[in-house]
Amino acid sequence: MQMKYSCSSISRLKEKYFDQEATDKEKLLVENHLQDCAACQDALKSMEELRALIKSPVEEALQKEDFPWVWQNIERKIRLQEKQPWWQSIRSWLDISPLFKRKVWIPAAATAAVLLFITTQIIFKNTSSYPDASVVEYVESETNNVMVYDLEKAKVTVIWLFEGSEEEALPS
Amino acid sequence: MDHEETEMISRCQQGDQEALKDIFDKYHKKVYRIAYGVVRQREDALDIVQEVFIKLFRSIKNFQGRSHFYTYLYRMVMNTAIDHTRKSGKKFASSLDEEGSFEPSDGAEKGPERVFLQKELEERVKRAMDKLPAEQKVALIFRDMEGLSYQEMAEAMGCSIGTVMSRLHYGRKKMQELLKDYVMLHGQSRGGQNSPRL
Repeated sequence: MQMKYSCSSISRLKEKYFDQEATDKEKLLVENHLQDCAACQDALKSMEELRALIKSPVEEALQKEDFPWVWQNIERKIRLQEKQPWWQSIRSWLDISPLFKRKVWIPAAATAAVLLFITTQIIFKNTSSYPDASVVEYVESETNNVMVYDLEKAKVTVIWLFEGSEEEALPS
Repeated sequence: MDHEETEMISRCQQGDQEALKDIFDKYHKKVYRIAYGVVRQREDALDIVQEVFIKLFRSIKNFQGRSHFYTYLYRMVMNTAIDHTRKSGKKFASSLDEEGSFEPSDGAEKGPERVFLQKELEERVKRAMDKLPAEQKVALIFRDMEGLSYQEMAEAMGCSIGTVMSRLHYGRKKMQELLKDYVMLHGQSRGGQNSPRL
């Protein structure tokens, strides 16, 4: 006497059978069960109908489709990608890179500019011919320019005398 | 993979666009079928076909022949189509109401009415497919439309055969649940004749 399998135990095998993936032994089990089970027969028919419903609109669409200009578009886009000059490649990269979206780079650039300004002010304000020196006075005249430095630490005053400009020094 | 295809792929890997054209001629309909199965819109499906072949030309150098070429291609189509739906964020639009408010017919099988009902059923199927998770949708497309074996599906989807079977099982179950109410109404109005039994 052959053992009868319940519908639930045959459920996964039914799908394998429907998909033609069942082994010979599994096929035999399912077919034996189907002989006596109308519900499972209906379930298989439902799967078949569902398959047809999924497939038929797509097949119809494919039959109507003549793929106008598809290959030409593909060729064109590949050609455009290949012919891009280096600066345009960079530009394309900039366009797609999230770091270079306007909302990101404009504030970042503005912040960098401000920081640079402040930093240069700090550096050049304190930088002089003599470290720890402050310019006391700078005097310009027709023949000579004079710069007077006070070196605070050494308590020394340095006086530089500059000759007049090079233009004036050139022979006529 | 036959010799002709191997040769085509090799030429394409060296940048030969004629080889890409040969691959396009061989596979564009299959690619379109999968793309259309996912997005169910002609223009989107054509965009996806173009995108896939452009990507293929760029990335074919990475194909080492460890899997079948068509499963490599199908995987590319699957990923491109899913990305496309995510980027476009399109919801399925239909003139039909959400809750199956269709009025049962008086039972007479008129030509235009039958066409309308068929269209309505197709819309319902599209809507139901859109509600499936992407992996289940793709599993149904690969199996029920393309007829791939479980092994081929596992290669194309990058998962085990067990996972493939699970996705198919839950995808089909969900589709039957989603279409159940429609079919029950339809079956009652037409006395169960010529109505899909799901």
